[in-house]
Amino acid sequence: MRSHVPSNQHRRRSHGIHRHPVLSSIPYLFPAAVLYGVFLLFPMIQSVWLSFQKWNGFRTSAPEFVGFANYVRLFTADPVFWRATRNSVIWVVLSLAVPMVLSFVLALGLNRQMAGRNLFRSVIYIPAVFASITVAAMWKWIYNPQYGIVNETLRAIGRGAWAEQWLGNPKIALYSIFVASIWQGVGFNMVLFLAGLQQVPHELVEAAKIDGANAWQRLTAVTLPALRPTLVVVIILTIISSLKVFDLVLGMTGGGPAQASQVLALWSYQQSFSNHVFGMGGAVATVLLILSLALVVPYLTWSLRGEED
Amino acid sequence: MARPTTRRRPVDYPTVGLWIALVITCVVWATPFFMMFLTSVKSKPDITRLPTWALPTEWLWSNYAGAVTRGNLWVTGLNSVIVSVIKVPVGLLLAALAAFALARLRYRHTKLVLGLFALGSMVPIQVGLGPLFNIMLNLGLLDSVGGLILPYLAFGIPYQIFMLYGFFRAIPDELEESAALDGASTFRLFWQICVPLAKPALAALFVLDFVATWNEYAMATTLLQSQTHWTIPVAVQAFSGQHATEYGELNAFIIMTALPVLIVYLLFQRYFVSGAFSGALKG
Repeated sequence: MRSHVPSNQHRRRSHGIHRHPVLSSIPYLFPAAVLYGVFLLFPMIQSVWLSFQKWNGFRTSAPEFVGFANYVRLFTADPVFWRATRNSVIWVVLSLAVPMVLSFVLALGLNRQMAGRNLFRSVIYIPAVFASITVAAMWKWIYNPQYGIVNETLRAIGRGAWAEQWLGNPKIALYSIFVASIWQGVGFNMVLFLAGLQQVPHELVEAAKIDGANAWQRLTAVTLPALRPTLVVVIILTIISSLKVFDLVLGMTGGGPAQASQVLALWSYQQSFSNHVFGMGGAVATVLLILSLALVVPYLTWSLRGEED
Repeated sequence: MARPTTRRRPVDYPTVGLWIALVITCVVWATPFFMMFLTSVKSKPDITRLPTWALPTEWLWSNYAGAVTRGNLWVTGLNSVIVSVIKVPVGLLLAALAAFALARLRYRHTKLVLGLFALGSMVPIQVGLGPLFNIMLNLGLLDSVGGLILPYLAFGIPYQIFMLYGFFRAIPDELEESAALDGASTFRLFWQICVPLAKPALAALFVLDFVATWNEYAMATTLLQSQTHWTIPVAVQAFSGQHATEYGELNAFIIMTALPVLIVYLLFQRYFVSGAFSGALKG
């Protein structure tokens, strides 16, 4: 190990207390880098490789190179892929509209002093600590056609005609799942917004108040501009987590009925593990990877550039 | 936390209105929990006859015992505990070592390396699940609780490196330089200066990572096959799929499996708040 180098010549280079930074960093980086490379980076790259192969996933048969055949099939002969893409896009758009606005409004409300504020925050946040697969099991019960609370409430208030197969009706299954995701996800974004609101300079808000700005003007002219970094983070995290939706759909409908609530992450998984066409699964995964990178790379560049150095 | 804002006025109608709106929101938000609990202590006839919100005619606590047996709770619970107890501290240590190297032993391409790590924390797991299955198969680590820890580490570390990097960067150079002048080795700089200073961040990451590990489903269901190796989330999904009509026991099972994260949340609430944004906002 090259790490025992107490150097007296510090300050000669900009951060010069470590004489050989590259060498001395190796033992520290090595375990993390190996795990990351073997179990994360390599599988992701191999997914891209698999997307050019035909393979049923069994050890007895070898993958066979088929060029772009999987992609041709994906784009021209796989209606489920298009349904899944559409649903994933719907999910992203809805997530940016409904839970984000809701969590922002809740954060604004809970940013004031009031009785029970901490209890309110906790109640809204707690679903976020639950496993998505658990939330899915809970909401399957909530949506139960006979005994679930949604339909029972509708019948009790004389609106029995509105009772639905919430997860069994292909037209609404996706939206029913989405409601569960609102319930689970709003608390997390609310906490992010609350944190952002702490950084809005209080003097500015007061000054605007003295200048006669009403609540709406203070919000749009002072609070929102100051919240811009928080907003960027919340928007990016919302889009990324929308692309990752998997447990909720798998747990509540399995993508059904008749693939009506299928999403990209789940379709990639099912093509590989249920339908044993690993090449097709790899092709869907590659599309998902490209979509994610298109978002994440600019975001990381932006957020790392913020650092001096 | 609190902002000392509004001056006291006799009756502040907007605030009262806001308060009522918040109470209603919270009641709506808490309803699923109440219902789950009520269902978990009802008998089957009660569930089919009575409305969901009615109290049971007979409080059937035996649903809980039934769910423990049917869901094999002790075995799956123990598996989840083993995974979390090993994965969380080891992962944090490895992430801290790597973040230290990137933040303190800087050289030209550290940011590129950091970016490469951070990338991994943001790409959906499902992208790599198929090949991961084969890698684990070839390494003979499939269907093993210990084996599951390795990909868990790989998927948890990037985010933690990203967060800890910010904390380690904030440590003033002078502190490190004076320690180095005293002859401290690089490892001592890490262990005795950087780690103690990052304690709040480490605590927050510890709690967040425990919850994330306890809740992870996609990898667990792909890599663990035999029932005796399942972790809690796999067991929950299996219970909900196979015994969906045992409503009472199902809800009892859900409640029992969610208790650990709920307790952790209630004990360490403040870390959820600090952990959620400290890294996310700064990067």
